[in-house]
Parts: sequence; structure tokens; C-alpha cells
Amino acid sequence: MSKDLRCSNVTKSLGGRVVLDDLSFAVSAGEVVSLLGASGSGKTTLLRIVAGLLDPDRGELAIGDRAVWSASSSVPAERRGISMVFQDYALWPHMSVAKNLSFGLETQRVSASEIKARLDRALEVTRLGPFRDRYPNELSGGQQQRVAIARCLVLRPALMLLDEPLSNLDAALREDMRVEMMELVRREGSTVLYVTHDQTEAMAVSDRIAVMRNGVIAQLDTPQAIYDRPADPFVASFIGGFSLLRGHTGDGLFRLPEGAVEGIRADNVASGPGILVIRPEDARPTGVHQTHLRGRVLSRAFQGRCWRLVVALGSQNVRLDWPEPPPIGSELGFSLPPERCLILADANQEKKTPWRI
Amino acid sequence: MSATNEHYWGAAASARGSGLRAATARLWHVGIRGSFPLAIYLAFGLLLGLPLLLVLIQAVMPGLFDVNAPSLALSIAPLERALSSSRIADAVVHSLELATLSAVGATLLGGVFALCTQRCSLPARRLFAAVPWLVFLTPSYLKALAWVLLMAPGGYLAQFGLLPADIARAFFALPGLVFIQALNLFPLASFVIASALAGLGSEYEEAARLAGASRWRIWLKINGPLLLPAIALTLIAIFAEGLSDFGMASTIARVANFRVLTYGIYAAASDYPVDFPMAGAQALILLALVVAVVLLDRLVLRRRTDPRLISGRSRRPELYNLGLWRWPVASLLLLISVLALVLPLVAIVARACTRTLGVGLSLANLTTANLYVALSVGTDANAALLRSLAYAVIAAIIAGAAALLLALELDRSRGAMRPIVLGLSLGAVAIPGVVLGFGYILMWHRLPGFDAMPFPRYGDASLLITGYVAAALPYCLVIILGAIGQLAPTLNDAARLQGAGPTRRLLRITLPLVLLSVITALLLTFIRTVFELPLSQMLVPLSGPPVPPLVTNLFGHDQDGIGAALSLVSMIAAGSGAGVIWLVAQRLARRQLGTRDGAPA
Repeated sequence: MSKDLRCSNVTKSLGGRVVLDDLSFAVSAGEVVSLLGASGSGKTTLLRIVAGLLDPDRGELAIGDRAVWSASSSVPAERRGISMVFQDYALWPHMSVAKNLSFGLETQRVSASEIKARLDRALEVTRLGPFRDRYPNELSGGQQQRVAIARCLVLRPALMLLDEPLSNLDAALREDMRVEMMELVRREGSTVLYVTHDQTEAMAVSDRIAVMRNGVIAQLDTPQAIYDRPADPFVASFIGGFSLLRGHTGDGLFRLPEGAVEGIRADNVASGPGILVIRPEDARPTGVHQTHLRGRVLSRAFQGRCWRLVVALGSQNVRLDWPEPPPIGSELGFSLPPERCLILADANQEKKTPWRI
Repeated sequence: MSATNEHYWGAAASARGSGLRAATARLWHVGIRGSFPLAIYLAFGLLLGLPLLLVLIQAVMPGLFDVNAPSLALSIAPLERALSSSRIADAVVHSLELATLSAVGATLLGGVFALCTQRCSLPARRLFAAVPWLVFLTPSYLKALAWVLLMAPGGYLAQFGLLPADIARAFFALPGLVFIQALNLFPLASFVIASALAGLGSEYEEAARLAGASRWRIWLKINGPLLLPAIALTLIAIFAEGLSDFGMASTIARVANFRVLTYGIYAAASDYPVDFPMAGAQALILLALVVAVVLLDRLVLRRRTDPRLISGRSRRPELYNLGLWRWPVASLLLLISVLALVLPLVAIVARACTRTLGVGLSLANLTTANLYVALSVGTDANAALLRSLAYAVIAAIIAGAAALLLALELDRSRGAMRPIVLGLSLGAVAIPGVVLGFGYILMWHRLPGFDAMPFPRYGDASLLITGYVAAALPYCLVIILGAIGQLAPTLNDAARLQGAGPTRRLLRITLPLVLLSVITALLLTFIRTVFELPLSQMLVPLSGPPVPPLVTNLFGHDQDGIGAALSLVSMIAAGSGAGVIWLVAQRLARRQLGTRDGAPA
């Protein structure tokens, strides 16, 4: 049922701007891959191209063993065997829940008994049975989302596309829905391409994440690998709460403009501009690790498990998680585990790209 | 055909394999889907573009349609003659005076009406909110004729001693005409300003209140400036509508000997001896004025910052509680309603049920004879009624279907035709019916090739119905395009991914969702067509006139009793028919959309 997806050298320009630049990647059957990126990074364009709602300029697309787009042939969206959960769900307002679900099956001339069986099962697994005769505007946001997912699942698609399916839900509902949705999707063993700009969401749902930047994939890897070893400063800046400190590497040491950071070795990094990636949860009091850094507390915010501090290290700021709230303006010394301190080459040094702290 | 479609069909064919059958199927689809939009554009051009072009060409080639010696010579002699004629100079000045003053008056009335019914808590607020619609649907020539019945020496108001003789005399001049025209056109202002008020929402106002602004200051500094573009738009639209109006021009203005451009065109093109060059010159002047106004409108629109676009979602504001002031305010609205709607209708009903105007509303004068004539099969009046209803049904169905197809095509296409057709159709709303009628006469009576055409044919009902369709097409298109534009594109994308082809998407997704708008467009076309005067008057079929020209003719020949009865019967017939269909359609659509509380989905 579920099939793999292969995209090779997909290129697309819109309004004279290159939106997707010679992009290649593959999703295995039954795998969930997220496209993570800021708005304008090309993730939605890629999704629409895979769906067949938009044609690429160049490249090839294949689902299973069937080429769905190449320079010489194209299978239209309605025959690709793909289904999609839209950001606004796109439930047809003039059809009841059951009608929304059966529309595609009727279109594909599935027999009446088969439609009934699939409909009943989809309503059962999504717990929508009591709402089968309701209209979309009579459902809550979460129920609408379940209908949108059920409408996808009922077709048993080769590939499911999810376009920011949680962005219309409020924060309290979002996590519950995410868990529930992925449980459904995993149970069916669907191959999924999932678009989001929320890294927490991407980490939670995906087998692998493709971090997109300006129409190219900056890194495609498992969530854990991306968290532990971001490929470059861009990916690091996109992943939750990391602080990026500009400095220099040389003689095996990393130096901030204010001086060398004790205890951090930069042996495997070429000399020149470098960036130190600090994960907030790694900070410990002075003396726990060999490294030692000192800065001034700019702000603090209670986060339940800990306090999130913003600490000024010279002209740069760093985010740290701390067990108690130090006074604002006070000096704070802290240490970092050297093996967790990642140093990346700073290719953007010349351009002075302002990294998010 | 759009590139995407072409690609799609080509792709579908290649995906199925490259046999002869696939190639034939592809050709067939490309042929059908390619020629279909072309046919729609062509029909649009033939119905509206060519007649207008002929009017313009004829204005500078006055000999073009001369029966005896046709010539292609360019000449501005008729235009010079027109501009130097004091009669036509008067008509231009009269048209401008009337249009300007009634635009100001109607905007004021409409603004007050919209503000009170939208934002104030008033007794019978919903009833008042329906008044502009009823006024809008009552034909202008009928209201004008009703005011003649009311204000004429010996008319109803004089009989009741409500009208001093000198006021009655002054009424049949500019002030009276402005009064009637402002009351006639205020619904347009009320619609535009009410929709702007609804779009404004309450957020800006609440923000200003929290910043400490008083209610007056809010209106002066926040709501007022935000509504200004809508008010400017209203002034311009009503000015253009006033310039193009033929209903008043051919009735009360003619009685008052107040010549305006529209009637001048009609008289030159239709009254014996016909003077096409003169009609052309006046049509050119009128079109130039209307085009100038439409361009001004575009300028205002471009500068306009639509509040709906800024705020995205606006909440319905709270209604102002006026306290004791609600009674005087409600009385004001009641007065406007009585003058714009009730009084004219009462006059028509009274005249329809009495023998003579002069004897007044005495019991002895009451009669059912007029209504009997209008309702008896075989009379001219009844024949006109049946004719008008039939023509209107046919025109509404054709115009609605054509507008729907054109709207779908426009919505789908991203090509160069889209802005052109869109601009033309929006502009075409402003084409005066009398100019279109003149264009039709030139095209179907004089243009070689068309004059001999069996269908539609000059002097035949088919041509009149074609004209009705052309006049209604832009309105229908604007209504249906608006509805389609509100559909989220993802609704169609979702159906596509579920395997639905173009036809199935149209029938199962798009059409059900815009059905109510399509029916609204049909019903509006139906009602407007039953009471359409200028085209009906200029293209009267040989088989007999429809209702509007017959009514004005009856009033002009002292048979105003039968004229009033015919008007009354046709209003009841058309209004109740359309009303029933509207109620059924609305109920159906509401159930279909699952909006049990009546809110749009």
C-alpha cells in the first residue's frame, strides 16, 4: 500500500526567483519525513510539486516504481494516489463527515460495500462515529482535523502529505492532536511527507527531518542526529534554543572576542572564524566541567523545571537553563561539558549574518 | 486554454500510453477545452464589445450606416453640431446637474440609512434594513410615474391639500427631479456603505476607546477616514448611474421638459425622423463622461486601503444604544422609507384601483376594471405581461449560465485574457442601457452580415432577449466571480487529490458552494429584466411591446389607470415568483452548507 518517494534534481522558479534548487531526496515506504524550514524556504512548494498541484521546471519524481513527473511525462494530481491534509483542512462545507470521507472512494468507483467497510473503519479509528452526519462547521477544530486525516486514510494512499496540519489548533490541543494523529498514521504504516516550521513538532513526529534553506536541503537526518550534530550554523540556529557564539579557532583553541574559552578544544576544526554551539540544558555551575565562562545576567524567565536565563558574554548573548534565579545584572560563572561543545566553521563570517542567539 | 490544462491533458494521454486512441482522445480534449473558452470570450465580445465599438465608430464616421450613401469618411461634424447646439448643451448641463446633486443626496440618505440600520439599536431595525432592497428592485420609471401621480396639479397630494400649488409647479424642475432621483438611488449608497461598515469591524473602534477617545472623536478620526474611500466610491457610482438613467429621463424629466443626454440619444435614434449621427455624437459625449467617472473610480479604488485586508477577521461591533434618541432616528428612517417606497407604491395601487385621477380616492371612483384588463388573457396589457415574464426567465437563465461558465473560466485561467475580460465586464456595468440599445440598432439593423441574420433578428424578440442578456451579463459575472473568489482554492485541490476530474469538481464542489450566488444572480436578472426600460423601448419587437414601454406609453396617453394596474400586477407576479424561489433556494443552501444557525460556513 505505502510506497517510497524519490525526488531527483527538482528545480522550480516562481516569479523569477529560484524556489527549489536542484533538490534530491528519497523517503522510504512507511517512513515519516518532515520538511522543516522558515517561510519562503520552499517546503510548501516542494509539497505541492509532489502532490501534482504544481509542476516543477526540471527534475524527476517517482512514487514506488512509477514515474509521476519527468520532462516527458506527468501523472495528474488526481491519479497519483496521494492524499493530503491541508493547513486549513479543506473540508467541503456542504458535505457531512461521511460524505467528505466517501467522496474520493466514490470517485474511484469503489464498490458500495467496500466504501461502507472502509468508512466504518476510518470513523472508528478516528473516533468520529458519533459525528458521521455532522457538517464540518458543527465540529471543533480537533474534530475537523481528525476528519481531514480520516479523509486521507480512507483512501489508503501510497503517500500522505501533511501541510502544517497542527498550525490551526490552539497550543493546548496541539500536542494531544499530534500524538493522536501520528498514532493513526503509524498504525496504517503510511509513507508521510510532513511540512512544518515548528522544530519541536518535526522532532516529535519524524523518522528523519529535512531542514530546508533557500530551496535546498541543508541537512537530512534523524531528529537525534540533527540535534546532536547540526551540519552547519544555519541548521543549529533553527533547532530549539541553541545559542551560537561567534569566535575564532586556531592552535586547537576556540576564542571569543573577549579571549580564549578555557577547556574547549577545537582540534578537528580548520583555523579561522568559528561558531560555538551551546545547548541551554548543558550549562552547569563553575567547577563541574573544566570549561569556564563568565557573564552578566540580562533576564530570567521561569519555565517550570528551571529558569531560562539570557546571559551576556561580552557583546554576545547566550541562553542557559539554570536551577535557581540569580539577580538580574549579577555576574554568573558557568561551565559546559567539553564533549557537548560543538564548534562549526563560520562560512558566513564575511556577511555578518545575525544568528539568533 | 491555460498551460496547466494543456500540460494536464497531454500528460494524462501520455500516462495512458501512446496509442492512436490516446492521441485522438488528447486532440478531442484539447479541441473542446480550447474552443470552449474562446466561444465564451467571442460571445462576450459580440454581445457587448461590438455594439459599443459601432457606436464609437459611427460617432466619428457619421456616414457609415447611411442607408442611401454609406461612406467611410471621417468627420467630426455631428460632434461639432451637437456641441454647438444649445439643446444638447442644455442636456449635458442638465445631466451633470442632476447626476451630481442626486449623487450627493443619495449618498447622504444611504449613509444615514446604513449607519442607523448597521450600528444603532432601533425599533424595527431589520425591517428598515430590507427597505433599500425593495427600493432597488422597484423600477425607476415606475417611481417617477408615481411621483407624477402624486405631485401633478390635481394629483393625490394636491387632492389631500398637502401640497401648495407653487411647490407642485417647482417640483417639475431640477429640485423635484433631484429629490426623486436621490430617493431612487440611495439603496446603492446604503449597500456600499453598509458593507464597508461591516468590513470595518469593531477592533479599530475598541482600540480607540481604550486609548481614551470619545465616540465623536472615534467617528471623526478613526471610522470616518476609514470609510472615506467607500463614500467616494458611492458618490462616483451613483453619479455614473444617474448619468445613465433612462427611467426618469423618459418619464418625469420629459414631462417637465428637462432634457437629459440619455433621452436625447433615444429620441435621435428612435423617434421619426431618425438622426443616427446626432444619436452617435450624444452617445459619445455620454460615454466619455461615464468612462471618465469609471476611471476616477479606479483611481479611488487603487488608493483605497480596504480595512478587511488589514484586519483579516473582524468582529461584529456592538450596536449603539441611542436611548430616547432612537425614536426620532427611527422616524427619520420611516420618513425616508415612506418617501422612497411606500408613497410611490400607494400611488400606483390607488391609481390602479380607481377610474380617474381627478376624482380622487372616493368610493364611487373605485374600480377593478384596470386590474381586470391587466389580468384578462387577450388584452394588450396581459400579452405584454406574459411576454415580459417569459423574456425575463429566458434572459436570466442564459445570462446566469453564461456568467457562471465565464466566471469559472476566468477563475481558472491565469492568461492575458483574465484582466482584460475582468476589466471590460466591470466597466460594462456602467454602460448606459440606452447606448447599448443604440449599438444594437446599428449592429443588427445596419451592419452587413448581421442585418440579414435569422437569429437573433432585428425586430424580433430574440434580439431584445439578446440585449437583455448582454445588459445582465456583467452584473451576473460580478456576483458569481465574487462567490467563486471566496472559495478557498484548497477545497478544489483536496477534491483533485481524491481523484476527482475537472467536471466532477465543478459539479460536486464548486457549483453546490456557489449555487446560492448563482440563483441570486438569476433572480436579480429576472427582476431587472421584467422592468428594463431603455432596451425594451429601443428594440420593441414587432410582435408587441413588453411591460415597461407599454406602461410609459399608457401613462403618456392618458391610460394611466391601466398602466398602473399593469405595473402592479407585474410587480406582484415577478416579486412573488422571485421571492418564493429565493426562500426555497436559501433554505436548501443553508441545509446543504450545514449552517443550521444561518451563519455562512
